[in-house]
Amino acid sequence: MGPSSKTAHYAVIGTAPSAHTASAAQHARIPAPAASRLSRALDRMFVWLTVTPTALTMLLVFGLPLAFSLYLSTEGWSPDESLFGGQFAGLANYDALLTDPTFIGSLTLTLGYTAVTVLAELLLGLGVALLLNLDLPFIALFRTALIVPMMMTPIVAALCWKLLLDPDHGIVDYFIGQPIIWLGQPWLALISIGFASVWQNSPFVCILALAGLRSLPHEPLEAAAIDGANALQRFWHVTLPLLRPYLLVALLLRAIFEFRAFDNVYVMTGGGPANATLLLSVYTYQASFVQFDLSLGAAASWVMLLIALVACLGFVALIGRGSTR
Amino acid sequence: MRRRKLIGAIFAYAALLALLVLFLFPLLWILGLSFKTRMQVFASPPLFLWTPTIDNYVAVLKTGDFQHAFMNSLLISAEAVLLSISIGVPAAYTFARFHFAARGMLFMSLLVMRMLPPIAVLVPMYVLFAKIGLGHTRLSVVLAYTTFSLPLVVWIMRGFFEELPRELEESAWVDGAGRFAALRYVVLPLVRPGLVAATILTLLLAWNDFIFAAVLSTDATRTLPVLMASFSGDVGVDWGSMTASCVLVVLPVLLFSFAAQRHLVTGLSSGAVKG
Amino acid sequence: MHTTRRYRIFRRQLLQAALVAGAVGAVARPARAADKPERLVYVGDNGPWHKCLVEEVAPAFEKANGIKIDFTLLPIDALTARLKAELSSGEGSIDIVQWDASMAGWLARHMQDHAMLLHEAAPKHPDFDWADFLPAVQSMATYDGKLSGIPYRATTGILFYQKALLEQAGVKVPSNFADLLAAAQATTKPGAPNRYGFGIMGRQGPALLGSFTPFLRSAGGHYYDPTTGEIFVNQPAAVSALEFYGELMTKYHVINPSSLTWEFDGIIAGGQADQFAMTVTLAPYGEAMNNPKLSKTGGNWAFQVMPGKDNMQQTSTYLAGWMLGVPEKTKNTDWALEFLMMATSKEWMKRSIDLGNAPPRASVLQNPEVLAKHPWAPVEGESLKTAILDHHDPLWAAAQMPLRTGISQVLLGQRTAKQALDEVAEQWHRSFKLAGMKG
Repeated sequence: MGPSSKTAHYAVIGTAPSAHTASAAQHARIPAPAASRLSRALDRMFVWLTVTPTALTMLLVFGLPLAFSLYLSTEGWSPDESLFGGQFAGLANYDALLTDPTFIGSLTLTLGYTAVTVLAELLLGLGVALLLNLDLPFIALFRTALIVPMMMTPIVAALCWKLLLDPDHGIVDYFIGQPIIWLGQPWLALISIGFASVWQNSPFVCILALAGLRSLPHEPLEAAAIDGANALQRFWHVTLPLLRPYLLVALLLRAIFEFRAFDNVYVMTGGGPANATLLLSVYTYQASFVQFDLSLGAAASWVMLLIALVACLGFVALIGRGSTR
Repeated sequence: MRRRKLIGAIFAYAALLALLVLFLFPLLWILGLSFKTRMQVFASPPLFLWTPTIDNYVAVLKTGDFQHAFMNSLLISAEAVLLSISIGVPAAYTFARFHFAARGMLFMSLLVMRMLPPIAVLVPMYVLFAKIGLGHTRLSVVLAYTTFSLPLVVWIMRGFFEELPRELEESAWVDGAGRFAALRYVVLPLVRPGLVAATILTLLLAWNDFIFAAVLSTDATRTLPVLMASFSGDVGVDWGSMTASCVLVVLPVLLFSFAAQRHLVTGLSSGAVKG
Repeated sequence: MHTTRRYRIFRRQLLQAALVAGAVGAVARPARAADKPERLVYVGDNGPWHKCLVEEVAPAFEKANGIKIDFTLLPIDALTARLKAELSSGEGSIDIVQWDASMAGWLARHMQDHAMLLHEAAPKHPDFDWADFLPAVQSMATYDGKLSGIPYRATTGILFYQKALLEQAGVKVPSNFADLLAAAQATTKPGAPNRYGFGIMGRQGPALLGSFTPFLRSAGGHYYDPTTGEIFVNQPAAVSALEFYGELMTKYHVINPSSLTWEFDGIIAGGQADQFAMTVTLAPYGEAMNNPKLSKTGGNWAFQVMPGKDNMQQTSTYLAGWMLGVPEKTKNTDWALEFLMMATSKEWMKRSIDLGNAPPRASVLQNPEVLAKHPWAPVEGESLKTAILDHHDPLWAAAQMPLRTGISQVLLGQRTAKQALDEVAEQWHRSFKLAGMKG
């Protein structure tokens, strides 16, 4: 991840810190080293002192529950039992999951949903970024307006879409002129939740791509123009390769978040109709909080977790290779 | 040539306007609904011009719950930000500057934790919090959010620290400053944009979360999104109250985002994670 | 400053409480002043029918006893999570639990024996009259022989119909499924404004089963037997019920297709907007649907018990509802019970029906004054006589999921009733086996 984000920083900050001019002034404000022995002791323990709080917090508040969830996934356990009062069930929960057609369906659906929404977000985000990169009067206004969907509380955004898509009083069906049951038909429901997510999240891709576009060096583009390349060729052969690190980061992040999409489905369809929008996180949620089979839920979330992990490492390797070229 | 440019500009504006409608109309329509009476909401065909009413807002605010949840959201978000920044930033600095055993592995596991579906830890978290007596406290929610945002803070800030030339602190050390002092007085002032970005993203994360707040908090510590979830039920869909509270929940975030837009873009672009 | 004010109020309330206690003179056990808590923690769901509890009973209780009720009202999933984790954690931080009938299987063991509590409190509250709660409702609050709470709200599915529309169409009020279909066909009026003969809660979620189960029960169908694990859901009775239900949508097109997105709030909104002539839904929804101030169809609705498959003798429906209970681990049993008995007293139950509750007391449901104001109430009382309690065994939570999917598939025409229910049965076999193995 390192190298690509590094380029991003300089680009976006624009004002790469002029370190040396600052440092002299700063030094004046540093209090004189008082008890130098204490100071030296603190210095020796610096690494330890700074990393431990973060590591410990993550370990205790996140790692421990995560481990507990792994333990749960091999148990038959319910929360009204004592912490370790469950019965060892081995891989029975995983077995139950992987032989459950609903889970398999949900898994395929989630992979497909992730692929399509992320692709749509990338295309739309990149397209909008190209437009916003033009030097036109009032363009800043458009750039600002675009971050609105992205900032909305996801639950609220989904609620808004639910109201807009209401078959009886929703404005969308009014414009179309006939009552379409968006959230009541399998394909339409899937498209609707995907659309709501693309609507909310392509601005994120757009912001990343725009930052990339703003930081592109002019020379290669000018050189290409002199060589007689047309706009399309310049975009394809010069701009796009230079944007690669930005787009890969966007791809990675959006894929991770679409893979665990929950709020839009929870509010808009609840996983229906006929499981058409039953994404993995909704399946997991229902296993944990509707069926209240926490062990099954834990197993499902560990399957999700492993998939996310593998995908993640794959991406990181891909990005690493790209930037060393 | 000039003409072609003009036509291009017209096309660009047309496309931009279309996009503006696509991205803003839904929210504007909801905003409009929130100023309608029940009869106006259900009017057919829908009203595009009407006498606005603020009754819905009065109704939402009058329940008293709203202000309470607003304060909770604010406090929980602020505490989560303080905690994440104050412990995450020094860690990020060390990750950027010092070699130590297991550095790579630690950093990687931080990132991985950010990538994992948080629903996996919801129930165990609740159970374990209850066991140590932190059940249904504001602190438990704050701690949960802190673990979501810590990897984010470390990730963003490490990038910013790596940008800075090493000679900076080294000269301060030579001048006799301790490492903490050098960090505090020399390094931190130079990464202010990063700090702002990390703050905003942490804030958003805490403000926008629903499920953890719903399970970990009580009425006394209930946040806005949880309150939102209670706007349906036995009297039909109360579109007025629902849309009004939608607007009230997103408004502060939007205003804040506009105010800090530049830094926000910085943070997001530095490979950060949102939501 | 805040604390002093609260203190003053507290003192004043103590004084008032003492006065009330003195005046009533019915306090059997002297209130143990030292043990008296400042507040009682109530955890429940966030349905809007709490209005009476929150806005009237709790303030009255506070005024009388100087104890504030802290309401934590959560979405149903969060409530289940909260109760599951907290009741077992041993903290005793909840004083009053509001629980749903379907929770009994895992929740009852954390609750006190309310038969005992009521018995002990009987001298203090001679008017409480436990027998006034209908038998079906008493059994709803009981699991494994233990009375684990006091019923506060009972809901059954009853038939709602717009009287004038049926009359105009020249059809009689349906008493069997065939009549229901005929009436729905006669009242379906395509084109704008869209009005269909029938409306259901068709969104794949908790409401879906509530919408279908009255049909299953009235056709004599059952889901499964929790003690033996025997599965009936793909037997002819259940299959015919789902077949009929599905065909209303897919074959006869008399169900408003918007129904596929409706849950509890949707069916009310649909009724209010005149989107259907008939529906089978929760009896107390008659309140919001028939209220002219909220509803385009206010005053048009009439009510009847669910039609039977062939005749009225077969009528049956589901019974579900909410109990208020005192958990084992609370430190404030006496005061929690005091609040419970106040909230479920005849007077407050009668008041609560005006504020959207469906109180399961015979004296309320059969009160002529109530009948005039809430025409659905006596029908609910009537349907309680034949209603069958929803499953409340520990298997039910997992059993619901495939069932929801199956019904949803049939409503969309993706599966026949037989195919869908065979798949449900197959999944149940698997999950019951797994549950057995997990102990």
